[in-house]
Amino acid sequence: MEVLEKLAILADSAKYDVSCSSSGSSRPGEKNALGSASLPGICHSFSDDGRCISLLKILYTNKCIYDCGYCINRSSNDELKRVEFTPDELVDLMIQFYRRNYIEGLFLSSGVVRNPNYTMEQLIEVVKRLRTVERFNGYIHLKGIPGADAKLIEEAGKYVDRISINIELPTTKSLRLLAPEKSRIDMINPMMQIKEGIEEYRSDKGRFKNAQKFVPAGQTTQLIVGASPEADYNILRIAESFYKKMDLKRVYYSSYIPVGNVPSCQPYGEMSLMREHRIYQADWLLRFYGFRAGEILTEEDPFLEMMIDPKCQWALRNMQYFPIEINRADLMTLLRIPGIGNVTARRILASRKFGPLDFDALKRMGVVLKRAKYFITCRGKMMTAADQNPFLIRQLLADVSPQISLFEIYPNQFGVSS
Amino acid sequence: MKDYLYDGSFEGALTGIYQMFNDRVKAGEARLVWAATYQRDCFTKVTEVETDPSKAEKVTRWLLEEFGEIGFRRAAYAYLSDDDQYGTYLFCFLKKMNRLGEKGLDFFADQDINKVYKIYNRVCRESHLLLGLIRFMELENGILYATFEPTANILTLLTGHFKERLSNQIWVIHDTKRKIAAFYDGKEVYIRPLDELEDLKLSGSEKAYQDMWKTYFKRIAIERRNNPRQQMHMMPKKYWKFLVEKPQEKTK
Repeated sequence: MEVLEKLAILADSAKYDVSCSSSGSSRPGEKNALGSASLPGICHSFSDDGRCISLLKILYTNKCIYDCGYCINRSSNDELKRVEFTPDELVDLMIQFYRRNYIEGLFLSSGVVRNPNYTMEQLIEVVKRLRTVERFNGYIHLKGIPGADAKLIEEAGKYVDRISINIELPTTKSLRLLAPEKSRIDMINPMMQIKEGIEEYRSDKGRFKNAQKFVPAGQTTQLIVGASPEADYNILRIAESFYKKMDLKRVYYSSYIPVGNVPSCQPYGEMSLMREHRIYQADWLLRFYGFRAGEILTEEDPFLEMMIDPKCQWALRNMQYFPIEINRADLMTLLRIPGIGNVTARRILASRKFGPLDFDALKRMGVVLKRAKYFITCRGKMMTAADQNPFLIRQLLADVSPQISLFEIYPNQFGVSS
Repeated sequence: MKDYLYDGSFEGALTGIYQMFNDRVKAGEARLVWAATYQRDCFTKVTEVETDPSKAEKVTRWLLEEFGEIGFRRAAYAYLSDDDQYGTYLFCFLKKMNRLGEKGLDFFADQDINKVYKIYNRVCRESHLLLGLIRFMELENGILYATFEPTANILTLLTGHFKERLSNQIWVIHDTKRKIAAFYDGKEVYIRPLDELEDLKLSGSEKAYQDMWKTYFKRIAIERRNNPRQQMHMMPKKYWKFLVEKPQEKTK
């Protein structure tokens, strides 16, 4: 079979994986070798769904012994043509795409063929060959296969920039239901192992010049939203604890897209891109804005609103903290204001050393006054004689961007099922 | 009102700055504009700036000493934007900076400082985007060749990255709008004028890899999440001409 056909099939099989980030690793170029990695990452194209293409995101094979309901490559899917690369084919494809600047590196995953160890060995064979034979020095992100030996994870960690092991579903219960052959412990153990490996590498790096690299760009994970009944609150709590306990770089969320008819795996609740988007916004609040999951949502009120973003939701519930005086608030307080992000907050701190700021200055610096104006004062004055009634502000802040239709936000209410 | 005319080069702009500071011009009193596109009227006093490398050198040293590497980079990258107001913006920026010193770089609330920062930022963003969007094709002789037409004159900002990344390759990046190219021979990068090339002979396998990339590009998108708006927002249409993959083109 031609490589072109394999590429088409295995890209198709890989596309539901969310991550494509190439950030977090800095590999200076080496003399007479191919490749480098840039710390902030580089996008090379944007596919028709608007997602960034940075890495060659591909499966080694879509042959899989498991039968996970949410996955297109499940063993019971008879419509799928099953193919497998050889390491040679994949290595050649990588190098040739990379030379032409199509991609930033490789994101290699795989169906589980024969058993987890065998699969992991195949993946290692590819990345090892890239690094040692081809002397490829670009970015490599490898999917860890749950259930593979700790030794294999350790081996892989030497060659790659990032490893991710998907936790797939928010709770063990859902996992048992939808992916009965996978076990939570087989995911958690290697994640712990990788975390410890990274810590060791970081401390060695400070002491020895030639410390053996180990997953320098850190580890991430992914879970599917909307294939199981968990609320946004539970999802955020899980993400929060993974950030804390596993020191993850990112948790990726993927809105469930039904792939074929699996009775046990029907979309649950609001299955929309908007929900995914709101969860990402809340995730950002956890990582960069000093929020705790319990502040964003509660057990009694466990779903994010679709019409306004999570930070506005929080602010409207906590009007007692507002308005905040821009010329006096500290960083963490500024970050609580809707319409002010990390970059603008820092600019405000730097700029106000030269004198008090007014609304024009805020606008120039990138504050989104459309949202911020209800929550701030400049030298004691508000921008508009706005009513501080949260109910009214909520109406004014509602997201009415033309790309989001009401049908998409409330598919159930409109009886739209896709 | 007074207008200073310069030849459009970076040295010319810096010479203009030298002269304007020497003439003790106040911000808002004068402009520093391109001579080539200047339209004269009878009310404005015009001074023609004669580009002088030694004066430009003095200004460069002043920028580096007073405002550091970052300050110099703001002024220099903003120049690459080809913005026709650049000279005047630079003058107002430096008038302010002269008063505030290096710390003034953080004064984002200030109009003059913010203006140059924004232009600088635009150039940085385009150059970062194009690090990804440049597409090389392999010629018969193994040389990698890429064409592009950036809005800002960023060719020089890309070469360091590709020198590091493709250090064991031989490559050419060609700005066909400005008719200049960066050549890398495996050791050094040279920037030279270059007219559009015709009849390029591609290597035997080039088409096959291009086809594979096009196929991959189509297949990696999730059809049910189609979002051309987002795609165009992240990757403006003006760059599509130079991509191997053509977004929104229907293929099997």
